[in-house]
Amino acid sequence: MNDFSELEDQLRKLRPAPPSPELFSRVERALVDVADENKSTDNIVRPDHFRINWVSLGLGLAAAAVLLIVARIEINRQAKQIPAVASLTPASRDKAGAGAVNDRLVPAGFTQVVYNTRDEGLHFAGGSVQPMRRVRYQTHETLQWRNAATGASLRVSYPSEQVELIPVPGQ
Amino acid sequence: MDNVATHEDWKVRFSSLAPGLLLFARQWLRSSADAEDVVQEAFVRFWRRNHNIENRALLYATVRSIALDFLRRNNRRARRESDVVSEIEHSVQPKFTTEDEAQRALAAAVDHLPGEQREVVVMKIWNELTFAEIGSVLGISQNTAASRYRYALAALRKNFAPQ
Repeated sequence: MNDFSELEDQLRKLRPAPPSPELFSRVERALVDVADENKSTDNIVRPDHFRINWVSLGLGLAAAAVLLIVARIEINRQAKQIPAVASLTPASRDKAGAGAVNDRLVPAGFTQVVYNTRDEGLHFAGGSVQPMRRVRYQTHETLQWRNAATGASLRVSYPSEQVELIPVPGQ
Repeated sequence: MDNVATHEDWKVRFSSLAPGLLLFARQWLRSSADAEDVVQEAFVRFWRRNHNIENRALLYATVRSIALDFLRRNNRRARRESDVVSEIEHSVQPKFTTEDEAQRALAAAVDHLPGEQREVVVMKIWNELTFAEIGSVLGISQNTAASRYRYALAALRKNFAPQ
């Protein structure tokens, strides 16, 4: 038994205000007038395009650039501090030369953590007759580089946001 | 495309749906004129695209989408024009035709519900959508829709004391 049935009955007795008589004639005109159809496309709700958080992206890239420069300077300084030993054998020199080739940061990993998902309901893409469900993902992405020769690593994290439009079948 | 306006059916459909759709749209829009604009656009778009009018969830999702877009546009304009912050807050109450003080008090109690509860109540009571349809409109589960409805009715019962 519904405990709220009496309250629901009272609510149903409240009558929504009726639309104005002009609304019917306006709808009729809009349905007839093809020109109005083209005009109304200006007001079509379009899903938000993929929006990049430029501030976050800019800060992330700037931080990455600074870290890369610092890491590069540090690596160069370490390389200069290695004393040149005259007694190196040709074999060891070859080994050092090979190390120099590999002495760089290489991509070592990428993680993307989705920490918030929001379903924003049904929307219409521009000109589309099929509704789309819009889902917004807020993520935290981490890129990692590693220098196999020195063991140095560099990690950059930044927030990101993605919007996915999923066609709704069966309409 | 056929000239759908020649089909008299739309008048019958629209007459039965319009009051509830307007009430639904007025949750976000300050004036009834704005709400009528939104309902007109939603209905015309829906009808022209030959969507099944029985698909009420899609119709209400269309109204909601257009109303929120209208609200966003107005908010941007308000910011540009440096309007007062209160102008940006559009939490407009549904409008009813009330007959006595008890109904006015009940309408006021509905107005004071949190937005997410009020939209569920409006769709359920005055538009007779199922919880599954409401869930589809709002992008929530039907259990969540039902929970919001129960919370809303509990709040109404607490705040509304009939004479």
